[in-house]
Formats: sequence, structure tokens, C-alpha cells
Amino acid sequence: MLLVLDSNEYIFAFGLSRKPICENLLDTILDTFPTHGMRIPRLISEEVRCNLTTEEYREFIELINNLTYIDEDIVVPFELGVRYEIIGLKPADAFIAAYVEWTGADVLVTENRHFLKRHSSLSFKILNAENCLSLIKSP
Amino acid sequence: MTKVNIRKAKTHLAKLRRLTAQKKSPLAEMSEEEVIKTIRKTREELWDKKLATRS
Repeated sequence: MLLVLDSNEYIFAFGLSRKPICENLLDTILDTFPTHGMRIPRLISEEVRCNLTTEEYREFIELINNLTYIDEDIVVPFELGVRYEIIGLKPADAFIAAYVEWTGADVLVTENRHFLKRHSSLSFKILNAENCLSLIKSP
Repeated sequence: MTKVNIRKAKTHLAKLRRLTAQKKSPLAEMSEEEVIKTIRKTREELWDKKLATRS
């Protein structure tokens, strides 16, 4: 299963604000690789960077570089983002949704309720860490 | 293409967690909702800057 983790998942998983289920999810993704993989766009990496020191950010980049790669935002077709804006997402959130669709990922993992309430009629699932973990661990 | 190395990824994740545990982030005192709201605000600001750069 291919996953895109929203920036809030990284923030919680790194312990900047404690949410053990998010830590557990990232650990589980690493433990189950390559059954479950990740993709990340530049925008999310920059959002995470805003909350890390230089030394912490270096470790974050090393983590990502040993797991996946950062996609530049520019690669996502503009029209895809517009489609998500039309259904009511803010432009930046619309970009993230478009990115998830563009990568062909199965799940966007986020604790953001603005995303979570828009899970119907999309080409991918939107789950919080708890539900994603349940999905990963289900037989 | 990235050369995946899970052992190294885990090492860097562990170090990152050690570093964040050593200092208190401004996010640590916030509720979950406040953290999410703060990150959303950061997203909007970064996105606006990207758009301004491109136009």
C-alpha cells in the first residue's frame, strides 16, 4: 500500500507534540517496508522543516532519503489541483489531494479534520493514523 | 531513484526523536487541535509564497 503522510503526521511521529499512535504508524511503515511505502511532496517537507531545528531537519532529510524521495510540487498537473478546489478544498489542501492522486497513492494519512470529512468520492482513502494502522494490521 | 535503506532510515528517525525530546517545541504545549491549526496556517503561508514566486 502506498501512503502519503500529511505534515501533521510527521510532527506527531517525531514527538514535537506527543501522539503515540502517529509514532506507532511511522514505526510500522518502516517495519513493514516494502509492503507499505511512502511518497512526500516538497510542500509537506517544507511544512515539517518550519518546525524543526537545522540539525533535526538534517535527520529528517536523511530519513526520507533512505526511504523515498521528495517530489517537486511543480510535477503535479495544475488541473488536478483545480478539481479539488472546485469541491471545496483550500488551494494548498487541494494541491495535497492532487498530489496524492497523481502519485497513485492508496491513502492520505492526516489528523486534519478538514480533510477527513471529505473522504467520499475520491480516488484514494483519507484516514487518520489510528485507522490507517488498523488497515495495515488487518489480515 | 532512491536507494532504500530501512536500517539507516530507522537510525535517523531514532536520532531525530532524541533531538526533539531534548528541547521543548512550542507545539508541545498546544492541544492537538491547536497543533493542526498551526500547521494549517504554515501550509497556507508557504503556499501563498510559492504562488507569489511563480506569478
